[in-house]
Amino acid sequence: MSEVMKQPAVVGAPEINLKSASLSSYLPAAIAFAGAGALTFLRWKVGPEHFSSDGALMMLALAAYLIAAVFYLMNLYAPSPLFEKIGLGSATIGVMMNLASWLTRWVAYREHDVAIWIQQGKPQAEWPWLFRNIPFSNLYDLSLAFAFGAGATTLLIAHRKNFRFLGAVSLPLAALVLTLARFIGDDILGLQPVLDSYWRPIHVGIASLSYGIALVCFASAVVFLLKDGVKTEAMAVWSSIFAIAVIATIGGPLGSFPVITTGTYSVLTFLPPRAPLPLRADLPYVGWILIAAALLLAGVVALFYMYLFKGDERAKRLGHHVLKAALVAQALAIVVLVWQVKTIKQVAVCEGARPAETACIGTDKFYGFWKEMALREGGNPAQVAAVPHEDAEKRAAQYVSQNQGEMFLSLNANPVELAALITAFAGTLFAIIFSFNPEKLRAALPDKEKIDSLMYKTGGITFAGLALLLMTGAVWANESWGHYWQWDSKETGAFVAFLTYGGFLHIRISRGWTGRSSAYFAIIAFLLIVFTYLGVSYLLPGMHSYA
Amino acid sequence: MSAIEETKPQVAVPKAPTASAAPSVVTRALNLLSSVRFGVTLLVMLAIACMIGMLIVQQNVEGFDKYFADLTPAQKFLYGKLGFFDIYHAWYFDLILLVLSLNIVLASIDRFPSAWTYIRKKKLDASAHWLRGQEQSASLRFEHAASRDAVVERVSAAFAGNRFKAKVTEKNGKTFVFGERGTWNRLGAYAVHVALLTIFSGAFLTAEFGHTGSMGLEPGQTSSEMTETVFDVDQVSQATYQLPFKIECTDIEQKLIRKEGAITSDNTLDWLTRISITDPEIKVKDPKTGQTKALVTEALVHLNAPYDYRGYRLFQASFIANGNARSITLRVTPQQGGQSQDITIPRNGKTRLADGTLVEYKDFSANFTVGGNNPDAEEGTYTNPAATLSVTPPGATPQKAFAFTPEMAERAPFAKQPVAGYTWRLVDFEKAPKAHVLSIQKDPGSAIVYIGFTLLGLTLGAVFFFSHDRIWALIEEKEGAFDVVLGGNTNRNHLGFGDRFKKLVVAIGGEPFEVKKA
Repeated sequence: MSEVMKQPAVVGAPEINLKSASLSSYLPAAIAFAGAGALTFLRWKVGPEHFSSDGALMMLALAAYLIAAVFYLMNLYAPSPLFEKIGLGSATIGVMMNLASWLTRWVAYREHDVAIWIQQGKPQAEWPWLFRNIPFSNLYDLSLAFAFGAGATTLLIAHRKNFRFLGAVSLPLAALVLTLARFIGDDILGLQPVLDSYWRPIHVGIASLSYGIALVCFASAVVFLLKDGVKTEAMAVWSSIFAIAVIATIGGPLGSFPVITTGTYSVLTFLPPRAPLPLRADLPYVGWILIAAALLLAGVVALFYMYLFKGDERAKRLGHHVLKAALVAQALAIVVLVWQVKTIKQVAVCEGARPAETACIGTDKFYGFWKEMALREGGNPAQVAAVPHEDAEKRAAQYVSQNQGEMFLSLNANPVELAALITAFAGTLFAIIFSFNPEKLRAALPDKEKIDSLMYKTGGITFAGLALLLMTGAVWANESWGHYWQWDSKETGAFVAFLTYGGFLHIRISRGWTGRSSAYFAIIAFLLIVFTYLGVSYLLPGMHSYA
Repeated sequence: MSAIEETKPQVAVPKAPTASAAPSVVTRALNLLSSVRFGVTLLVMLAIACMIGMLIVQQNVEGFDKYFADLTPAQKFLYGKLGFFDIYHAWYFDLILLVLSLNIVLASIDRFPSAWTYIRKKKLDASAHWLRGQEQSASLRFEHAASRDAVVERVSAAFAGNRFKAKVTEKNGKTFVFGERGTWNRLGAYAVHVALLTIFSGAFLTAEFGHTGSMGLEPGQTSSEMTETVFDVDQVSQATYQLPFKIECTDIEQKLIRKEGAITSDNTLDWLTRISITDPEIKVKDPKTGQTKALVTEALVHLNAPYDYRGYRLFQASFIANGNARSITLRVTPQQGGQSQDITIPRNGKTRLADGTLVEYKDFSANFTVGGNNPDAEEGTYTNPAATLSVTPPGATPQKAFAFTPEMAERAPFAKQPVAGYTWRLVDFEKAPKAHVLSIQKDPGSAIVYIGFTLLGLTLGAVFFFSHDRIWALIEEKEGAFDVVLGGNTNRNHLGFGDRFKKLVVAIGGEPFEVKKA
């Protein structure tokens, strides 16, 4: 005989809700992955003529990420199940389109290669393996995967309902990465022979996913600081300093500060089909609008400094007005810049007044242009330096007069500068958004411990991912170049980021350095990742010039 | 506490009364060297040094001469004095690495005993107060349980069902069930540090005892020396390194994407170098003659596929992009009239015609002009291809002949002239560069580095994807019912642990429970 024990009474137990841990909570991620697979299959079956290009899918992903972020933000300020559902749905569509864009690119690469093979009359047995075409050949491909890594991580984390808000910060950042990709350009180019290795998808795949998770760690750190009571004015000061630094450094060679010193902003020119020249053409109005934005941002820094360190409430109120004006100025500069690059018809050396629809090349840029071209063509630096300025300028003038009819402008000319300007704009925008009723925002966020735990988790996975990235890169380098470590700028950049995440993890066990210090480390570590991802590729010499 | 552990709010611990005697200098130095804070500082210093190395072009990087020429004299002086042009080999960089290694060792020794107690001296019981203070806790009451054993059995079963290894103990009339999982995770961080030290050791061996050089090879060429490049700021010099064996190049091949395109890297799938290694230090017996001779090994080196031989690694590094041909196909037409025939000859090869005329393929010019190659021709292109032949009719002396393409022969009258009784036309050829460059590496440290990588990969997984979860259940009989107080903690993934804890609580009380009456 037996007796049945009744359900026990639970006294003082935490709220038991297993819904968040169930498999169905991963449904949005599953839908995104399956949908992307289905779209890719469709693209493969119907061909490029009857399907959206990878670029169009990428733009859809970008739009979906932004819509999701807007609704997640609205849900923080005015909680509504509808807003949350739209946010989650848009994030799902964004991840689906982002992954589909990357996968259809794989199909496009394959078709590109196969067309050559057919034209060369090579039998199918001699066609290269499928993984040769995996889209990890350049910075555009990596950017798509990076944004996907961030979007997918956000979506996976969203299986916990109380972490869905994170999309409000991480998805705009993923959208920024896609914006950068748009400026880089989606040309399908041939694969460099050294990249034809099975290590490429492993190494670059780990890189893009690690970067994506690092982005979410960064977003968690920003939210942690917000929750921890860091004043939004302090955040505005940092975002303004970043924006001023961007404005000061763009528009010319590093260290020349052309916008600040001359009031002009210039963009690199192209020769057909798409050969960039080390010669910039001035865009009218942009420089002065940027200077106005920089001055307003400097005002923000000064006013918020007075509030933060002297408690001046009037300065605080004024600072917020100036911050909004700076946002408008930054937006105007970006719009005028993009509009002119799109509409200007010719590039020319201007004598006297600037003709309509023309970007002018200043003769003061001729010497630098000639020197750069001479070095590009293998000239000896000492001999190039010994050529008199007048001779060099004459040769440059001759080259320009011969080619100026063909020169054109493109948004693909300065992807880092454009992306930096938009990132600075986004920083200012977020500073304004966070300043809007910050107490309500803080109350809507989960506990600090939970955010901290998420930051630790994503930081730890990023650390492990970067370690794997360095290891797989070293093994591949040892197979290809004969050295597993060469202190190449890209590998050193990844190593520095790895060290910083190592510091982030260790700092947490050192008394007195926990909490905010840990969040600051996570932010710095992510900025180092961005530098490795972009800065090293565009600014520093090295063996990773393709990515 | 392990070295990499998630932060939890720390309880303020009152300071122990300080001893009157100040610690010695050695103790203070050891305390500093084993502190995590000092370790983080070293990590930051190392990161800063690396950043300097990234931002200031290093002397072994392509383009350094241009960068150096653009610097001001003051920059050259300052950077040079601080060792910034070769920072990764500067004494202070080595010192940071050394001290960091020492810090890892000492910090690990310092903290290992406390981590070891989680394995050797497990905490099996706890007070209700302590349990309620844990990061996860719950209190359950069983009104109708038959006996304490039934409750213990139920709790133990729930522990086991959630993959917690349970241990039941009794103390002061109370029953405790202690369950844990992932105990070894406490040691994961130490294993990661061992892996890092292994990698550092391998890297040290590579830096101190490794050699890396290059060897340019044309088909038919033999060499036993590799060239090492030595940098001294903007001065570059070459040093030779003697290999214990000879390498003969037997063939080079460039697999092109478009056959009609140039031999540039963007039109290439792969470069293949076939070599023959003759090793005088290893003798083998010739099965035909019975005599001993040096071991000869045939090998293929191509992109991303190095060849290992006696501790040396041979890599396909680069190529000399002057156009050449791996093989040529000639259309040979008798001067007296008759049927033309096509013959294919490999580079440095030869063949005989039906009448016994010996045809040797001597050289190839991609951009032939009278008096030498066209200096204005773009590298890797084939504007005016021509093959140089040596033709020896039976019983006659060798004669030099040029084989031009039919189009070129139409344009140049001298190209139509017969040689040794035949006209020679170049109808096809397989493009190949003049020479390939192999990179040769002797690296005594790479195997150790690879062991470190393997260990690091495994241990990072163990550290970051698992955690040490501990849960205690205190079972007490009160007023005819049984109270169960549950409490638990973990060293990482607190969110996941929260889910697991809730699942366990549900498992303890969620299902009908049958107790057999005695």
